[in-house]
Amino acid sequence: MGDEILRVGHLGKTFGNNVVLRDIDFTVSKGDVTSIIGSSGSGKSTLLRCINLLETPTCGEILYHGVPINGKDVNASEYRTHVGMVFQTFNLFNNLSVLKNCVIGQTKVLKKNKEESIAHAVTYLEKVGMAPYINAKPHQLSGGQKQRVAIARALAMDPEVLLFDEPTSALDPETVGEVLAVMRSLAREGMTMIVVTHEMAFARDVSNHVVFMSEGIICEEGTPKEIFESPKNARTQEFLARFTQN
Amino acid sequence: MTSSLPTDFLGRIIYLITNYGSSFLRGAGVTIAIAVVGTVIGCLIGFVVGITQTIPIHANDSKLKKFLLKIVNAILKIYVEVFRGTPMIVQAMFIYYGALMYLQISMGMWIAAFFIVSINTGAYMAETVRGGIISVDLGQTEGAKAIGMNHFQTMLYVVFPQTLRNIIPQIGNNLIINIKDSSVLSVIGTVELFYAAKQTAGAFYWYFESMTVAMLVYLAMTLITSFLLRKWEKKLDGAASFDLATTDTLAHTSGLLRGPTRRNGGHRHGR
Repeated sequence: MGDEILRVGHLGKTFGNNVVLRDIDFTVSKGDVTSIIGSSGSGKSTLLRCINLLETPTCGEILYHGVPINGKDVNASEYRTHVGMVFQTFNLFNNLSVLKNCVIGQTKVLKKNKEESIAHAVTYLEKVGMAPYINAKPHQLSGGQKQRVAIARALAMDPEVLLFDEPTSALDPETVGEVLAVMRSLAREGMTMIVVTHEMAFARDVSNHVVFMSEGIICEEGTPKEIFESPKNARTQEFLARFTQN
Repeated sequence: MTSSLPTDFLGRIIYLITNYGSSFLRGAGVTIAIAVVGTVIGCLIGFVVGITQTIPIHANDSKLKKFLLKIVNAILKIYVEVFRGTPMIVQAMFIYYGALMYLQISMGMWIAAFFIVSINTGAYMAETVRGGIISVDLGQTEGAKAIGMNHFQTMLYVVFPQTLRNIIPQIGNNLIINIKDSSVLSVIGTVELFYAAKQTAGAFYWYFESMTVAMLVYLAMTLITSFLLRKWEKKLDGAASFDLATTDTLAHTSGLLRGPTRRNGGHRHGR
């Protein structure tokens, strides 16, 4: 394990009196691919959204290179340029073309010049195989295509970490593959990723760290080998047993 | 001269058009000017009010910011409710005579007309814009935040363009309403189409004939406006198809495309 990028400590989140996350601790180092697995409602997505400050944690801390980022005087926007996010529902800007989706953050947020931003965007669109579609609007694309553009949009910001919130859950089985392929190649190139997923094969084969969550707590974490081959926690065993049966 | 006046309906209409056509046209010009300027300024007011009303308040914000926003929003709410909740004809007289008698300001026909129509349209547009902003999927805002945009950038580049597209029919509605409702400004002496028609009618006691001409001119104006607005909407929607930016023929047969190939090699996609 290399340099530590993110450290989540004693993180908690409640909505009203509904406790969604309890005492979450984990760290992410450079080059880590962390998969967060668990049944629906276990708090996986909320955890990811807390890391990107789309949800404000109720307690605990999130350290980015040792600096707490969930305090009052932290510039959340600036922080988010380093920690990209890919959503289950893509969230491409409907009013902009594929190319502009990938350019606007660079020009308006990072203040890069237009030519450079376009070249940079095209590089990543080529990487995800969407370069031919630069003139298309999001509504003209299929789900898998949209998600690949969304990944390119996040990558174009040159983030240090990329968060994936169930990136394939809204896709039909045929297009899941094209998105996972892009994610696999990113992992191979050393991109630091945190992936909330129901794709067990991805978690097992691509990630180097697997976190199993249930009812708002981390039940078990470890290498894919440890989690998938010899899970110690009863709930992990039960969860994985259901998957292997199918 | 009076003896030669036509007595039949059609004859009177023709007489009005040939002798008083320019006065009707001038009135129509004033009506259009008031409606367009009033709608444009009203929309700007509506945008500012609607956008201000949707500024989110975070738990982390300073007390001063929270307090200011509350005060401003309360004032804006009163503005919207008052101008939406009273008739424009009453507002016109209230503002015009109020300014004249208590502030010693004689507004003049144009200023009074622009002011009253704008502020009235603004009250309606504020609600339209607020609704338009709320109706843009929250995911769009989250997508923008996730690449580091602040609230202002998110609104400017992502939410507002989509809001604008969604509220164009309502802007068009307002323009058409203003073309018609500017007629109430005749009560403060604005010489628009209705005022001109009434004057002409009064000269001969040809009310029916004169109003027939006014009806036709109003209808022509609103129909043309509708037509132009539709065109503008279509233009904003952009092309229904796009061209693949590639020479790779394999891309054209990839199974990911939904629509059939077009003659020019571009692809039509379902909308």
